[in-house]
Formats: sequence, C-alpha cells, structure tokens
Amino acid sequence: MPDYYDGVFRICGFQDGEIEKERPRIERVLDKIGIVPEDIPGVEQRLRKQHEVELEGVRKILRAWLLELLDLVLAKDEGKRVIYYGYPSIQGPGMAIQSESVGDLYVGCPDAVLCHTVGLVFDKLTPFLEAAEAGGLPPGHGLCSLQQIRNGGLALGVIPVPDLATGSSYYCDMGSKADELLHEIYGHPAVYIDGSMDSRWGEYPKYDPERTKFLGEQLDKLFTVVKDLLGIEVTQQSMKKAMTTSRQLYSALGQLTSLMMADPMPISGVVSGMAMNLAAASTCRSMSEGPEALNTLCQEVKERVESGYGIVEKGAPRVLNFAHTFSDPGITHMIEKAGLALAASFVTVPPRKRDKSLTFNTLGEELAEAAMRSGAYHSTYAFAKRFAEAAQRLKMDGVIWGYQYNCRPMALGSLLFKQVIEEETGIPTLALEMDYYESRSYGVEELRTKVETFAEMLRARKAPMRN
Amino acid sequence: MERLFAHLKTRMGDIIEAKKEGQKVIGYIPGGYLPEEIVIAAGAIPIGLVRGGDHLPVEISSGYICRWFDTFCRAQIGYGISGQDPYYKLLDLFAIPITDNHIRAISDVLDYNTDIEIFPFGVPHMKEQSTYKYYLHGITRFKEKVEEITGIDITAAALRDAILLCNEERRLIRSISMLRTLNLPPLSSKDFVALNHGSFVADKRFMVNLLESIFNRLKEQSVERPKGPRILLSGSTLAMGDSMVLNLIEEAGGNVVIEEFAEGIRPYWENVSTDGNLLVALAECHFMRRVPPAWFRPGKERLDFLIKLVKDFSVDGVIWYQLMFRESYKTESYYFRRRLRKEAALPMLVVESDYDPSEVGPMRTRIETFIYNLGN
Repeated sequence: MPDYYDGVFRICGFQDGEIEKERPRIERVLDKIGIVPEDIPGVEQRLRKQHEVELEGVRKILRAWLLELLDLVLAKDEGKRVIYYGYPSIQGPGMAIQSESVGDLYVGCPDAVLCHTVGLVFDKLTPFLEAAEAGGLPPGHGLCSLQQIRNGGLALGVIPVPDLATGSSYYCDMGSKADELLHEIYGHPAVYIDGSMDSRWGEYPKYDPERTKFLGEQLDKLFTVVKDLLGIEVTQQSMKKAMTTSRQLYSALGQLTSLMMADPMPISGVVSGMAMNLAAASTCRSMSEGPEALNTLCQEVKERVESGYGIVEKGAPRVLNFAHTFSDPGITHMIEKAGLALAASFVTVPPRKRDKSLTFNTLGEELAEAAMRSGAYHSTYAFAKRFAEAAQRLKMDGVIWGYQYNCRPMALGSLLFKQVIEEETGIPTLALEMDYYESRSYGVEELRTKVETFAEMLRARKAPMRN
Repeated sequence: MERLFAHLKTRMGDIIEAKKEGQKVIGYIPGGYLPEEIVIAAGAIPIGLVRGGDHLPVEISSGYICRWFDTFCRAQIGYGISGQDPYYKLLDLFAIPITDNHIRAISDVLDYNTDIEIFPFGVPHMKEQSTYKYYLHGITRFKEKVEEITGIDITAAALRDAILLCNEERRLIRSISMLRTLNLPPLSSKDFVALNHGSFVADKRFMVNLLESIFNRLKEQSVERPKGPRILLSGSTLAMGDSMVLNLIEEAGGNVVIEEFAEGIRPYWENVSTDGNLLVALAECHFMRRVPPAWFRPGKERLDFLIKLVKDFSVDGVIWYQLMFRESYKTESYYFRRRLRKEAALPMLVVESDYDPSEVGPMRTRIETFIYNLGN
C-alpha cells in the first residue's frame, strides 16, 4: 500500500517492491526520527535540488545510506549486538570486527550515519543536537557536534544503546570523554584506545617505535574485550578478510577520485563526499551495497567526462579540501557556485606506502603503524605536511583548510596549516573555521564571503597562467 | 608569606646569575607529570610555567591559533611568543608532558613559532601496564634529554637526593593542607595557593625551609579566621595570577578548605620511593599513584577522590572552576554534580573563565548566591 514517504525512497533508489518489503522497517524508523507527512515535500525538493539524483549511482548511494540507517536504528530490535566506534580513527578495527560477524552484529559509527541520513536527506538534526545540549554536552563550549549527534540519538531513543562503544583516546579527548558520559547515563561498556601524540614538530615520517608498540597494545586490547564480551575473535586474518571485502569498494572510490580530477569537474563534491564517507562510517552496507553503487556512479561520471560535462566551468581553479560536509550539502554547493572545483579531499589521498620490510606480531601493531603513516594520527606537523604533499602532487590551485572548530586535533592546525602549506608549496590556502556535521552556526551565509573572496583571488591568480 | 614574596621578587635575577654561571633552566607545564627530581639531579633549575589569569596573552595567542582551546594553554602560547612572561626567555628547554590536545597546542605552536627548544613527551590517559610503560619510557627519554642539555650524567645518588628534597616539599605542603581539616583552618586558601604556586618557581631548598617554618608556626598557634561555608574548589587549572574566583569566594564569605586542580596546584598526596630503580619509582608516584585529572578516561578515580576530599575536609559545597573549552572538565561537570548530590548530599556550582575581566560581575552574583544558600 503506497504511503506518503514512498516518493522519497524512490528518489533514493528504492524499487517499489523493495519499499513494500522494507515498509515495516521504514515506518518504525521514520516514526523514531520524527518524520511526518508534512516534511516530505521539503525532503523531496531538497533531494532533487541538492543531489544529482538524475544519476542512478547517486540514487544507489542514497539507498545504501538509508539502508544503513534502518539497520542502525533497528539493530537491537532485530536481535543484533551493537558496537559503535568513533569517526574517523577506529574504522579499521571496526571493519575487522564486522568481518567476523555472521549477520548478528551491527558495527558502525552512528553519528556519521545520522549526519548522512537524518541530516543530509531529511534535514532533521536539530532535535538531536538540542537533546544532547540538554544532556551533558551544552552549546557554546566547543564540544564536538558529532558526539552531540550520537548523544542526542540515544537521548531521543532513536539509536540503540550499544553493547560496546570504542573510540580513539589517542587522537581526540572528546570522543572518549563523550563515551564516558554515555556510559554514566546508559551503563554500556566503553573501551578507550589510548595513545599519545607526542612527536616533535618536523619529526614525520619518523616516530618513536614505542609509540606504535603502545598503540598496538591498546588496539589489541579492544580485540581482547570484543572476544571476552561478545565471543568474537579478531585476528590478522580478520583484517585480511575485511580488506578483501572492501577492495572492490576502495577500487571504485579510487576511480571516482580520479574522475573528480577531470576538467571540468564532472559531479558535485556532495556526491563524492557521500560516497567516500559511506566507506568510513559503515562496515556493512558500504560493503554490500557500496561497490555496485559506486561502479554505477563511476560509469555515469565517466560518460560525463567524455562528453565534457561539468558542474563548474572548464578551467575553474581546482581546490583540495579536507572533506565534504556531512549533513548540509548547501555548503559544498556554495563553494562550487563560487567557481571552485572541489576536485580532491584530503581524506581520499592515499597515505605513504608501508615499508615492506616491516613485520608485525599483532593486528594492533599493524594498525598502529598505518595510523602513524596516515599523518593525522602522527602529529600536527605530519597532518599539515601530508596536506601540503597532496596539494602539490595533485597540482591544486588552492587549498581550503576547513577545520572543524570543535575538533581539537583539527583546530590545533587552524592557522599552522595555512602557514605550512603556503610556505612549503606556495599554494594559496584558506583557513576556514567550519562545522562539517551540523551547520546551525557555520551555515552557507556565514562562510560565503570568505569563500567568494578566496575564489576571486584564485581566479585572478590563474588568469595570467591561462593567457 | 613575606619571605616567599621577597624570594620570588628576586628569583628572576638569581636565575639570570645562575645561568651566567652555566646552570640550565628547564621550564615545564605545571600539571604534575614532569618529575622535577630529574632536573634538580642534573643541577638544572626547574621552573613551572604557572602564570595565568591575564587576558592579554590570550589575545596575543589568537594570531597563532583559533580560540577553541583552553584559556591557560592559550595564555602560555601568548606568553611564549610575546615573552611577556620573562621566564620563557630564560628557558634552555621547555618540557611539555602532553596530557591532552590543549597542552599539545602549546607544544606545536611554540615549536613552530619560536626558537624555544621543546621537549614533548606523552602522558597516557589510563592506568594500565602499557600506559605505565609508555610514561616510564617518556621520563627516561626526558632524563636523557636533560643530561644532553646540561652535559651531566645523572647519578643514582644525585637522583635519590633530589627525590628526598622533593618528597620533603610535598610532605610539608601536605601537612599544611591537612591542617585545614580542622574546624578552624589556620590559613586561607589564598595563602595555601600562593605557597603552592611559589613552589613551582622558588629555589627548592628555600621552599622546603620556608614550608617547614610555616608549618611549625601554624600547628602551634591558633589563627582567628572568618568562619563561613567550607568549600572544595576544583577544576582544570588554577594559575598564579588567576585570583578572581578565590577573591570572589572569600568576599562572599566562603572558606575554601581544599583545592583539587590538574594544573597549577602541585600534586602533594604521594611521595616517591627511594628504593630500587628510581625512574620506576618516579613513574610509580607521578603516574600510577597520582590522582589523575579529568582527561583520564574514565575519570572515576578523580571523582572518587573528590568525594573523599569532601568528606575528609567536611565540605559544605563544591565550586567547580573550569577554564573555557577544556572539554574533559566540561563533560565531567555534568555527571559529577549528580554523584555529589547522591553520595554526599552536597550542591555544586560550575563557573567558567576565559580570563576576561568582564566575567567578574556575573561570576560574583553566582558565587554570592551559592554561598548564601549554603549558609542558610
């Protein structure tokens, strides 16, 4: 029996039969997140206006995100055990744990899922944020909005209380402390993966081997707890299995990243961001639905490239950003309308290659070494250095260093990154204070003047080169 | 107290003279994780960079980092870059135990923007075997760095002497603090905090001598002090010069009888053993037995300790004084209030500061109301 929300799910790539099959789940979830018939025209209009839903690949990615939302919200009702991890640092271990699941486990990053669905699709995050603000994470104190969304999701009873929560205690202080707050309220166990970012400025790529040893032991601790608590044994073999499963997804993501470098840029960063973040926030639907969705998208984007279609004009300055906003596509569109091609994101630039002579005794050690190489978990210097290297290698015309104001590891580089990138590469860099997860304070109009001025400068700088 | 202030007045000049004679000056963040004993054993001068409370260095820091960092940490960036705290100009090494991202900001921003030699070392956030080993590794590296800077190999005998000296300082501070469990505390919190702050800067032998004479005097004579509600003051940092909250409590008739802070108040509850491997003994005391700050996760041990202090010092209410944007403290303040109510039937007031003089009015109103309510 058709219902008021069918149009939204059709736009998001669901077939009629599938909507019918999923209807009981859909209705329970829409009810929990507070979607009413009056919301639907706005949601449909937003999807058509903000997302390139004429592309089948986009519809399939939206579908994967919505299925992930259904899985998350209903996980406990459907008899699954639930593990939450923190974005972005614990995704690898999350994948390894999920690889040992026999369909009875939900492993994911609930806040990122809520951003991409309740925020990006339904534009209904505000009640979640307000619930968190009343529940221990008040406004005005620079507390992480991603953590607020998770806190609000639990306070409103939208997402289930997990059987285990884990987060990086080696990258940010907020994630672990917010997990502790939720533990105090809901009583679920939390595993803090500790470490220390104590490298000196300029030390990257070197690091004290004790750092990886320590972080490795801490990561292994997570796997021990998972075994003790949930009876799931995670080994190096599990990681290999996860890597094999994810290979298709990452290969398609790599292809999409290359296609984004075409001139003119063929699709909006809203789409590429949605695809990239699916891999980071989900360990299940990203693997089952992601590869096909991305392959479809890549094929369509390839056709656009071949036909010379672009969403910004040919020759537009190409800009490297950190990532795309999770919940408000308007910001990415505003940047593109200012005439900038958001051709690449730091989060998709592959890290340096592993030294093949290295051997590891445990999965934790292996993951710890990867964390050091990635830069962001090594030090502020390494993070900035890798940003500079990426901008140079990709021959970018500019960098938008959009730092998450309430994420201390990012905000630490607020002004340092601009200095380092410009000194090392000469590439103009805009340090832009923003919020990737919710845009009540850092909305389009707050950012527009800064972005437009930067775009004007990049265009002027590029003009003589063209002549 | 006059002796202390006179000593601190000439301390800068004394250090400049000592430097001329080849002594090295090693600054550190006064959060209790830097074993001063190592510095003293190498014949160098430890200086806890404990100054704060002034908004100007916070403003200066805004040219180097965004505002979303702890006020004390931004102040250190401002002092370090501008040299407005002259101790920064004297440093041969700035040792920074990295406890959280706010402290890491001091390390990164000053390393990039100044010529100060920075030595960061990690302080993990839990008490486990692997975290303990990492802390021990950090202070071992620190010892090597101090030896390199000073050109002196630290002997076990020198380290043992330094430990004994620092133990004596901690013992005396603890003894003075415990006098405040008495019905009529013989000294004010402002005086106790001044002694504690002074201990980060003063010559260690002078300080031990001073503390001893103060303790002997206090334990023998009864001092008439105003009677008012007994307050536990807790929070992230209580810096030298950040006197607004203590002044307001005192003016409102409150009587702070115990302070518990992560930075600015020297941890004085534990002493270092002089048996066995001394670096191990330092790690045991400064990391494993130290009551950790709120950036430990979970923060239960500190919150348990606060409840204990509340009972031991017969406290009537808690004032939680935190600096802006230190998320660990902000988060704990939410659920500790409930715990305090449940386990000790006491109220708690949370006040925050960004070292902005305009805060004084609203903060006064809140503190006066809180203390008025405690007294009724």
